[in-house]
Formats: sequence, C-alpha cells, structure tokens
Amino acid sequence: MAKEFLGDFEELILTIVAIRQENAYGAAITIEMEQWLGRKVTLSAVHVTLYGLEDRGYVKSKVGGATNERGGRRKRIYTITSAGVAILKAMKETRTELWKMVPLLRFINN
Amino acid sequence: MRQLPLWAERLLRTICPKEFFEQIEGDLIEVYNHDVKSIGERKAKLNFIIISLRFFRPEIILRNRFSVQLTNIPMLRNYLIVTIRNIRLSPLYSLINMFSLAIGLSSCLVIYLFISDELSFDSLHSKKSFIYRIYSVPHYSGNATQKVALTPGWLGPDMAGDFPEIASYTRYWTQGKMVFKNSEEQFLIDHVAAVDSTFLEIFDFELQSGNRASVLDEPNSAIVTEGTAEKLFKNANDAVGRTVTIGDAEYTITGVLKNSVANSHLQFDALLSISTFSRTNRMFSPKWDGSFLDTYVELIPSADKKVLESKFLDFWIRHTGIKEYDKGTALFMQSLSDVHLGSADIDHDYNNYRKFNGVYLKVFGTIGLFILLIACINFTNLTTARASHRWKEVGIRKSIGAKKKQLFGQFIFESTLLALLAFGLAILLDFFFVPFLNQLIGRQLALSSFLAHPLQLGMIAVILLSLGLLTGIYPSFYITSFSVTSVLKGGVKTQGKPIFQSALIVIQFALAIGMVIGTMVVTKQLTFVKNADIGFSKDQILLVGMNNEVNQKLEILKTEWQRNALITGVTASSQRIGNNFGGWGFKVKTDTGIYNFTPSNLNVDFDYLSVYGIKIKEGRDFSKDFLTDKGGAFIINETMAHELNMKNPVGTPAGQAWYENDSLGSVIGVAKDFNYNSLHNKIGMLALVCQPAWGYDEISIKIDGTHAQEAITLIKEVWGKNISTYPFNYSFLNEHFDTLYQSDQQMSSVITISSVFAILISCMGLFGLVAITTKNKIKEIGIRKVLGATAIQITAMLSTAFTKMILLSFILVSPITYYLLTKWLENFSYRISIDPFLFLLGGLTSIVIAIITISYHTIRSAHENPVNSLRHE
Repeated sequence: MAKEFLGDFEELILTIVAIRQENAYGAAITIEMEQWLGRKVTLSAVHVTLYGLEDRGYVKSKVGGATNERGGRRKRIYTITSAGVAILKAMKETRTELWKMVPLLRFINN
Repeated sequence: MRQLPLWAERLLRTICPKEFFEQIEGDLIEVYNHDVKSIGERKAKLNFIIISLRFFRPEIILRNRFSVQLTNIPMLRNYLIVTIRNIRLSPLYSLINMFSLAIGLSSCLVIYLFISDELSFDSLHSKKSFIYRIYSVPHYSGNATQKVALTPGWLGPDMAGDFPEIASYTRYWTQGKMVFKNSEEQFLIDHVAAVDSTFLEIFDFELQSGNRASVLDEPNSAIVTEGTAEKLFKNANDAVGRTVTIGDAEYTITGVLKNSVANSHLQFDALLSISTFSRTNRMFSPKWDGSFLDTYVELIPSADKKVLESKFLDFWIRHTGIKEYDKGTALFMQSLSDVHLGSADIDHDYNNYRKFNGVYLKVFGTIGLFILLIACINFTNLTTARASHRWKEVGIRKSIGAKKKQLFGQFIFESTLLALLAFGLAILLDFFFVPFLNQLIGRQLALSSFLAHPLQLGMIAVILLSLGLLTGIYPSFYITSFSVTSVLKGGVKTQGKPIFQSALIVIQFALAIGMVIGTMVVTKQLTFVKNADIGFSKDQILLVGMNNEVNQKLEILKTEWQRNALITGVTASSQRIGNNFGGWGFKVKTDTGIYNFTPSNLNVDFDYLSVYGIKIKEGRDFSKDFLTDKGGAFIINETMAHELNMKNPVGTPAGQAWYENDSLGSVIGVAKDFNYNSLHNKIGMLALVCQPAWGYDEISIKIDGTHAQEAITLIKEVWGKNISTYPFNYSFLNEHFDTLYQSDQQMSSVITISSVFAILISCMGLFGLVAITTKNKIKEIGIRKVLGATAIQITAMLSTAFTKMILLSFILVSPITYYLLTKWLENFSYRISIDPFLFLLGGLTSIVIAIITISYHTIRSAHENPVNSLRHE
C-alpha cells in the first residue's frame, strides 16, 4: 500500500499551520512563507492547498474575527488536526531514516 | 483600500464559491496593505490585480459547481412556463416572430449547403495542395488575350524533363463519346479520356479492382467505372482482363474504378492509357503543334509557384521556336482548388464539370447574412414593441425581489428558446424546400448529410445561442429599464421616440429594397442576353457528332436529309459555335507586305452562313461553283476588316500561316459581326475557311421546330442506313447556349428567391409592429374620431411614419445598389444600361407592398367605433 504523502509545498504550509496555531489564515501564511522561502508565493496557491488539505482531513477551519487591515472581512482560521500532526511526523521520520543511509561526507572528486 | 479596482473584485465574486469569497477578499486586502508598506502603493495595486486574477484556476472555479445549479433549475422552469404562456396568449405575434426567423434561418441553411457543396469540389485528393492545372494565355496578335485550358501534347513530358520542381504530370485528353464493343453488343460511352499512367498516383480516384500502380502503364489498357463495367459485362467483378474494342482499337480492361463523385471537376466513364495514342497520333508531334489536351502537374513541396511560372516563357520558346506571328504563349499554373470556382474567365475549358463563378459564392453568402439580419431585426423589434404588454409582469417580478440580472436572464432565455423553435421550423421548411431547389439549380444538396455532422450541429448550437443573445439583448435591456413604481401605477406613458426601432426598420427595408432592385436589373440583363440579336439564329439547330466515316459520307447524308421538307438546312464545322473559336496563324497581303497574325479560325462547310443565317456585308458566300473556294477563299468578319483597316477587303490576298507567300488565296467576303462567343466577351477577329478535306467535327442540322420529333426520327433513320462505325447522338444548340449563362442564371434564381423572402420577412415584421403600435394609439384614435377626423385621415396618419422610414431606406440603399450592379454588369461586354426607372419601380413596389401590409391594421383601427376604446376612461 502506498503511503500517504505530502508535496513539499503542502508540507511547508501544514507545518506553518501547526506553528501559528490559532492564527493561521491565507494572507498570514503567505506572508510568513515569503519570509521563510525568500521568494514570492501566490495567494491563490496557498488557498487552493489549504482547501486540499482540509478535504483530506489534515486541517480544519472555522470563520474567525475581522480586523481593520483586511477591510472588515473575516478570516478563515485553519488549525491542524491529529491526522495532520501524524502525517507531518511520519514525513519527518521517513526523511530521517533516509538521511541515515547517506554515506557521510564523501567527497567525489574524480 | 477605497481606491482598489472594484472590477477585479467583482469579477472574483462571480467565480468564487460563496463560502470562500469573504475570506479570499479579506486576504487580498491584507496582502495589499502589507504590500503598500513594503513596495509602495502603485506596485501594490498592480500586485493586487495580478493576485486576484490568479484565483481564476480550476481548483477554485470547480468548487462552486453545485451552488449554481441549485439556484437555477426552478427559475428556469418558471421562465419556461412564462414563455409558453406568452406564446399562447398572443399566438399571432409569436407565430410571426418565429416564422420570420425560421424563413431567415432556412434560407441561410440552404445557402450554406450550396456554398459548402461548391467548396467541396476536388477536395478528396490527398495531394490537392500540390496539384496544378496548366493553362495558357496565347499571344494572338489578332485577338484580345484569352485564358485557355488546353495545352500541347508534349508539354507535360517536356515540362517534367526540364524542371526538377515538377514531381509528376498527367495529361487528360478528352475523347468525348466513344463506341465500346464487347463480343456481341456496342455501347456509346459518354465521357472517355486518355490519361497518363501517373493519373491515379496524382489523383485519388478510388480503384475497385486492378493494380493502382500499373493499370495504365501499357498501351491499349483501359480502366472503366463500375457503371460502365456493368453496362459492358453485366457484372463489374469479372471485367478485369477482358478485351473490348473502343473506337477502332482493341483494349484490355485492367481495372475498375468507383463511379465518379459529383463534386469533382473531372467526370469520366472510362480512361484509356495515353501511350496508345502518343506513339502514333499525329497530334503528338514533338513540335508542339496545337493545344488540345489538359495537363496537370504535381509539384514537389518545396517548389515556388511564382518562380516556376516565371521560367515558362523561355521554356515555351525553347520548345516551339519563336515564330513571327506568335510571340510566345504565357503559361500559368492554376491550383486544383481554383479549377472549379476560379475558371470563369478560362475558355476551351471542356473538362470542368459544373464550373461555377466563385465570386457568386460571396454574393450568396452576403445575401444569406442579409436575410438573417432582416429576420433578427424583426425579432428584436417585435419583442421590444411587445414589451408594453409585459410591464405588469416585470413590475411584479421586480417588486417581489427579482434582480435586473435575473430579468435579463429571463428575456434572453425566452429569445433563445424561440430561436431554437424557429430553427426546428427552419429544418422542417427545408425538408420541403431543398428538393425543390435542387431541381431548380440542378444540384443534389442534402439536408441529412448536414445534420449528421456533429461539428456542424455544434456550430448550430453556438449560432443559436448567440442569435438568442443578440436578438434578446436590446428588448431585455429595454424592458428591465422600467422603474417599478411607474410600471405598477399604470404603465409607462413616456416612451419617447423609438429611435433604435426606427433605425432597425430602415436597415431592414434598405436591404430588402436593394435585393428587389437587384433582382430586377439581373433579370433584365439575362433576358437581354437571351433575346439579344447575336447575328445568327441559334434556335431549332440540332448538333450531331461525327467521325471519319461521317465526314466521307457527308454529301450523301446531306442530300438524303434535305429531300425532306422538315429539314431546312445541313452544314458542318470544325468547332461548335458558342465558344471562343480556336486561333491559328493567318496572313493577309497589305500595301507594305505580308502581315502575319492569329485571329480565330473556323473551318466550315459551304452552306454554313446560310444555315446559321449569318449575313454577308460585302462580297459573296462560299460556293461550289468556284474550285478555288476549297481552302483558297476566306470570309472574314467586320471586326477583322475594321481592325486591319482594310479599305477594300474583298479580293485581298490572304492565307493560313503555312501557305507559301506566293500561293495565297483571297478574301471573298465580309460577314456581318456575329457573337460566336458568349456575350461576356467582345467579338474578336475571325476568318472562315471552307476546306472539307480537313474534316469537320460536328454537323448542324436546322429543322422545322413544330415537328421536331418527326425530324429527329428521320435524321436517325438516314444515319442508320449509311453510317456503321459511329452511333447517332445529338443535342440542341440552345442547350449549349444556356450553359454559357448557367452561373448567371443560377445567381439570378437565388437572388430572386432571396428578395422575395427578404420582402416577405420584412413585411411580416412590419405587420406585427403596426399591430402593436396601433393598439398603443387606440385612445388617441378614439379621441381624434370623436373630434371629427375621418377614417382616411386616420389611416394616413398611421401610415406616414412607416412610409417615411421606407422612403429613407430607399434613398440610403440606392447608391450602394447602383454601384454593386454596375460592377456586376461589367462582367458582360454586351449589357443593358441601368435604368433609373427600375430603381423607382423597385422602391415604389416595396413601399406599396409595405402600405398594403399595414393597411389591414390601419384601416381596421380607423373604422373602429370610438366608444369601444374610450368607454373605460
């Protein structure tokens, strides 16, 4: 059976949702990702990914409070579910396993 | 935030799922505010638009699929019910509306069928874009230049040898009707041609049996169509390998072709290998004497047509050697797709089945669009005018919360539905109309093949939708613009002048009047062409094909035939009248020496001029009393005498190009000019010679028209007694002349039918419109009557507005029509002048028809008792 798998963009967003806890929503995630990655991130891509993650049950959302700087529009706040936490962990472990198998610091010159 | 472009946001709202929109919008604004701080306001605004637009992605759009359908289905049902109620409430208007659109659509459909049939010609060949037909423009010093489809026999092989750009060639030499003999019976097969072995490699005509690559390789091989094979051997399957006698040679049948398809310019019943002839026949002299067959070439894909054509003059001179009187013939290539529609100006074009003038296709298309436009205008106008009857419905819908957008949707839905119904009606109409039209114009247009094509059905769906949208948009706009309060208070009284509606009526009638005038002028020109004095009589003349034996026994036949009073004259000629006669070199002796030139030439029998009733202006006719008349005497036409400035033509020494200068014959007479060619062309220089020894191609028999059948039986009897090697087949000269104007005649039929439709549809619209406007004015009429207006005054009052509009459209359309008709008439060298009276007549007819149309309503409402209309106030 194929393992559940996340793309790296999805994984990054899920991680940020986990970090920001009660304050994860589209614009905030986008701005934070731009800072982390040092490049432009498209808002619509973030939205679409969040919808996808919600469909698969890794995050859940509720409509939250409005602020002035968003023209009085309410936010959709995302929080990570336990399934989301589980897959993040699984992804990290798989990576660590793999990392262990890499022969360390072999320089290949010839 | 206040300065943010609202359109982007609004656009976003239409595609975003409702439950997400607010948050997306919020995020956008937040990012914008964030951007303002970091990159400045202008860039932030730009960024805002870009980010908004990037929400147009399938993951977002597809998310709101369900919500759209949920809201619409009950509404659509309601719209449907209301539409049906409306149709039932006022069946007359709905019927007029639908019928006019249906007639418009059905004519468009027929025109589409016609055009696509014409365009489908010669499209079955996979190499079609590399196949060209060679045509030549001979440089005749004695005649206007003419394009000629014929080429010399060796042109094809020499061309392929000289130019590497030419991948392959095939010649196509028509043999006309030929006698096929199997072991016991003989048959006359209509279309026989000799072609090269490459014919089936260049063209994709389907071979049913036989080896495609080699069927025509050997001399004396023949391939026949299925139909011919069945005629000859009863069963097409065992034709291959049998021998038949064709003409006077034995041939082996090497293959059977599928029957010719209707949309191919080449039509044949049997094909013979040209190698049978090219070895022995004197026509195939390596010196290229005479053009008599069609040549097709296939170019290699990298070849450049223009570059190749530019080398042809040298090529021509290289192979013929330049002659004094012939400055070389220009050769051109005509692409296969142009042969059917682009050959209107090419003469001696004998292998071009149902040749059509391609320009007329554009005329037809335009007419089709015009009719559709007229029908659409009707639809728009009637719906708008009817709006007044739907105020209350609109008012109530609005007051219970219908948005403008929804009302709009409702009216668009209605017009689309009506368009759909009209289309159904149009198909029904065409099922009756297409067979009738097929008979009129000699085609096999099929509605079923059109409907079976999914692509075309899709196209129709798109057209109908846009039609519904187009015709529905103005009425919807107009109706929804009423304000609720004024509507519910008792109708909108201040409508103002309906400028838009009037403009539409003017356009509509302008188109219709233009077509009516066009019909009149075209019909008049064609009648002129038919009845013009062409200088000879073409009626009651029977044409009979002939071969060597017939030529030898011509005198016997003539005497036997002419014993009977039903036959008033018999003569023969080398070419059929009603074409541009072929030219060859000719010379006359002038004061300064021998003048060489190339006029049209015709070899005739002694009594040709008298049988055809061609008048002699000077000198005398050919006569058997003068021995030198055989080949040594010439009758020239007036044009030649005039062009060469001959003071005393009779007696001038003259001769064919190959006569020695010291043994010339002489001109014995000048014939009055006669139009041996169609009236599209001017009369050129012509020299007639009488030399039975060269042989003739066709006998012309003048018969007594009242006993045509008896005369034909008689001619046939005499033929059967004397001629054994050639079957009797005849045609009438009038029929041949009819084909000269076939394209014009068909165009005239189409434009006549179309203009009748145009007027009919326009009047249907007018009828409906007047009904509505008089109804709106019913109270005004009542009051006027009470105050003493007579019925006539009221009728006049109601009619003036419309009469004015139609007058205006007449004034607008006249100059355009005049210009277009002048252009068309320029096709004819002999033409009528456009009579302003015809214009007035056309305009007047339209106005009268319109007034009669509206009179039903105007007179009726004028005679109405005012009590009925005023009682309720």
